[in-house]
Amino acid sequence: MVTYLQVIISGLLLGGVYALLAGGLTLIFGVMRVINLAHGEFLMLGAYASYYLFMRLGLNPIVSLLLTLPLMFLIGWVAQRFLVTRVVRAPLLTSLLLTYGVSLALTGGAQALFTNDFRSVPFMSGAVNVGELALSIPRLVACGIALVLTAAAQYFLVRTRWGKALRATSQSADVALACGIDIDRARTLAFAIAVALAGAAGTLTSFLYTVYPEMGRTFMLKAFAVIVLGGMGSFPGAFLGALALGVIESTAGYLTTTQVAEAVIYVTLLGMLLLRPQGFFGLKEA
Amino acid sequence: MAGPLIADQRAAARGQRIYAMLLAVTAGVIMVIPAFGSNYTKTFVMQGLMSCALAGSWNLISGFTGYVSFGHAAFFGIGSYAAGIAIVHGGIPAPLAIAIAGAAAAAVGLTFGYPALRLRGPYFAVGMLGVAEAIRVAVTVAEPVTGGGKGLVLPPEDVLDAAYYAMLAVVTTTVLVTYRVATLPVGLRLLAIREDEVAAEMNGIQVTRLKLGAFAVSALFAGLAGGIYAWQISYIDPGTVFAGSLTVRAIAMTMLGGQGTVFGPVVGSILLSGISEALWTRFPFIHTALSGVLIVAIVLFLPGGITQFLQNRGWIPRSRRL
Repeated sequence: MVTYLQVIISGLLLGGVYALLAGGLTLIFGVMRVINLAHGEFLMLGAYASYYLFMRLGLNPIVSLLLTLPLMFLIGWVAQRFLVTRVVRAPLLTSLLLTYGVSLALTGGAQALFTNDFRSVPFMSGAVNVGELALSIPRLVACGIALVLTAAAQYFLVRTRWGKALRATSQSADVALACGIDIDRARTLAFAIAVALAGAAGTLTSFLYTVYPEMGRTFMLKAFAVIVLGGMGSFPGAFLGALALGVIESTAGYLTTTQVAEAVIYVTLLGMLLLRPQGFFGLKEA
Repeated sequence: MAGPLIADQRAAARGQRIYAMLLAVTAGVIMVIPAFGSNYTKTFVMQGLMSCALAGSWNLISGFTGYVSFGHAAFFGIGSYAAGIAIVHGGIPAPLAIAIAGAAAAAVGLTFGYPALRLRGPYFAVGMLGVAEAIRVAVTVAEPVTGGGKGLVLPPEDVLDAAYYAMLAVVTTTVLVTYRVATLPVGLRLLAIREDEVAAEMNGIQVTRLKLGAFAVSALFAGLAGGIYAWQISYIDPGTVFAGSLTVRAIAMTMLGGQGTVFGPVVGSILLSGISEALWTRFPFIHTALSGVLIVAIVLFLPGGITQFLQNRGWIPRSRRL
């Protein structure tokens, strides 16, 4: 019983980090109907930024978040202004191929600049005991930060004027435009926020996992499963989907092997798509 | 007023002749390469033919119906493994094993296509990505049969020439089938699905059957290419034959040449194979990054592909035979 509780809790902690990555992916899909295949690479950039800030300047990853968040926001802003905005109205394939090209360019660039070596940030370790449960400190901290950032993004989306503009664009871009919302600006903002969140997820993974140029791929596939579970386009859905996927993954990993757990993730994705493509609370257009 | 129009038509007809001649010359060169070319040339052209088979088969489903399959590598991988397992565990002769590869891929295409093709747009794209990954992991886990992550070793044979012509045959068949499809009403029906599926269905087009048929044929050719690849290379592993980059290369080539056209994938794969080989030999370290930049450039500057570009300029006619 205690073991199983342990498995569920570690799944939830994992889910917190997934929520950051998937939240951005779903936000981008919502406002533009664009599937950002480069999202995992933005996570990778965030992870390398934290790694170098730690190794060169000795900044611990929590402090370096204050630098990586605005930096990644800026990168996202530029990527949207110069690239993604040109394909928003184009057929689906165009944006898929464009973001894949960006992903390839970033992975290849990282391989050339940072080499293929596996790296990690030696930051925090150990566990705290709560009753009979042993909780890993780095995972607790990472999940805590992820929750704070997700909550902040949710607050922004629900309470602020620009947040409302963003949600309106997501519901119907044409009507939002007719209501006088600058949808181009809303989309740029959404993309920049999404990239910043992916960068933050990268910072958190830099001290949980190994950092290497192709690390983004697995995370991106998991983020897809998350947003399909939660409903593509729904930010709260992505949060719940992330927690669900974290629990599914850690349970499957506990009962079988990590490889089978990976298969379980994709089967979950497919099953959800076939049975309920709009997810927990997605856009009703699947 | 008729003057310039007739002149335009003449120019376009001349353009079409040049276009056809260039393709014919390329085809002739490819035919005779095994007799004169070095092993390097043969392997390089064979790689190009393989990409062309993948691009052409992807074009059959995605170029025509607009259902973007982001998991096309799955069928290539299944073909590779079906042929590999048939040869290694069944001792089946290679030609039969390659036929099995095609059949297996088509069967899997039908099985997954039936539920998956109900999904529209982005949901289908993400779904197929999931299918490809799920199959890759399944093949990796099924170690007793597939050799798992370590891969599967086939009895090595020197069959480069035979495999070369087999791959050429697959490419030729794919192009012929595409030509048939494009010039018969069935092609128009598939394109109607791409433009507006609901309207197509309202007009009495049997949407599900057509989509499924196109998907299965597309999977068949990808599977055949996979089978031939496994036979020639004699070592396969899940990371290589299920690589997402295979899918994206096929897509980029089709897009560069022109989606939903007959010769678009051929033109695209000739150009892109040449360009990426040149990049690879000149800039080995930043080759991946440059391919990414190249894809972005194609999307931004030639979204309709070369065929449409030439047609818009009036250099070749707007014929569905091209």
